[in-house]
Amino acid sequence: MDVSYVLTDEALVVAPVGRIDEASWEEFGSKLTSGLEQASAQSRGTLVIDLSGVDYMSSRGLRVLTVARQRGSAAGVAIRLAAPNDVMREILAISRYDRLFDVDDEAPHEGSAS
Amino acid sequence: MTDERSEDPTVVRFWGTRGTLPVAATARQIKRKIANALFTARDYSFASYFEASRFIDDQLTFAAGATYGGATSCVEIDCGDDAFFICDMGSGLLELGVDASSRCVDGHRKKYNFFLSHMHWDHIMGFPSFLPANDPDAEIVIHACHPDAETALRRQQEDISYPVSFAYWAANIRFVTLVPYQEVEVDGLRVTAMTQDHPYGSFGYRFTDGAGRSVVYSTDSEHKIGEMDREAAFIGFFEGADLVICDTMYSLAETSSTKEDWGHSSNVVAIDLCHQARAKRLALFHHDPFHDDEDIERMHEDSIRYEELTRDGPPLEVLCAYDGLEVPL
Repeated sequence: MDVSYVLTDEALVVAPVGRIDEASWEEFGSKLTSGLEQASAQSRGTLVIDLSGVDYMSSRGLRVLTVARQRGSAAGVAIRLAAPNDVMREILAISRYDRLFDVDDEAPHEGSAS
Repeated sequence: MTDERSEDPTVVRFWGTRGTLPVAATARQIKRKIANALFTARDYSFASYFEASRFIDDQLTFAAGATYGGATSCVEIDCGDDAFFICDMGSGLLELGVDASSRCVDGHRKKYNFFLSHMHWDHIMGFPSFLPANDPDAEIVIHACHPDAETALRRQQEDISYPVSFAYWAANIRFVTLVPYQEVEVDGLRVTAMTQDHPYGSFGYRFTDGAGRSVVYSTDSEHKIGEMDREAAFIGFFEGADLVICDTMYSLAETSSTKEDWGHSSNVVAIDLCHQARAKRLALFHHDPFHDDEDIERMHEDSIRYEELTRDGPPLEVLCAYDGLEVPL
């Protein structure tokens, strides 16, 4: 799974690419754990998950988000979701994850305040 | 409707589909449905009951023209006239008992095989109202993986809880403790149980008839966010099933937050498991008693859409169980 990390003024932005399903949820979880560690080390209080490159996410990927949120809460790092495509936006609504997470229309860019 | 594999289809009949506590529509809710139906039908005329009934089927949503019902878990697997197979003893068992008694008058054998997921109240509360329990010619075999099933059933009829003792029943009642993952044959059906996550434990059952048709009953089963590796066992248990009946009481968000560790699952996880198992049909089951018909219908529509969005193989038919639903396998 391709994942990029970008540091902005107030957040670390992690941007996974592709499908997050039964084949990739564990790797996705590892990438989020790494992102949380980087955000904490860089004194960023927010990890933004840029979903613009995510085609689709199954329940396992969604539950990985919950695990990351729990870990982030313990580390003092909040998690926000950003830029879901139409499919992801539907999945977030159906699963009611749009009530668990703040969902932004756009992800912050390098050098920008989130 | 018959299956091409047999002229005697196995039929799954839902007598109770609600979780936790029985509920019933109020007079105001029924009046609202009737008023809405009459208003929708204001430009139609009906020459017969059949035409009016067809209007309801064709022009009204299920929630507008009917109800999902409010009896707690009770599902019958009807394989013909030999013996009854019944999953759980929720309040839906009352109606099943009435119906079964009349079928026995028509010649059905008075043998009742129960399979209990667990002993929580909503899954056993129907037994004291099960008419065949007081038939001296009836044989009732209660299968459970909990070794204390008999204790639970006797306890709910102690005089602090119920006016009639368990010892009063005239039927020949016996208990059989099953071992998970050890297949047994019961009156022609092959049955295997598996362990599930639920407070005090619960068990799912897979039933396979002589023609190879299979139905899985998996209720009160939580798929915990920290134990997703364990789901491979469920995928194997659901593999290729003609029908999987799944606990879909809460949204995924609820099972991951406010209702974590409550022992229940979601429509989204059920669909993912059935997709991976290549199951043919899923029945959404164990509906939240706080949800009204419109809430449940919305959950069903959402589930159908999620199945479409995430499908990566043959389509999975997503049914929403309601009291009275019959599904031929």
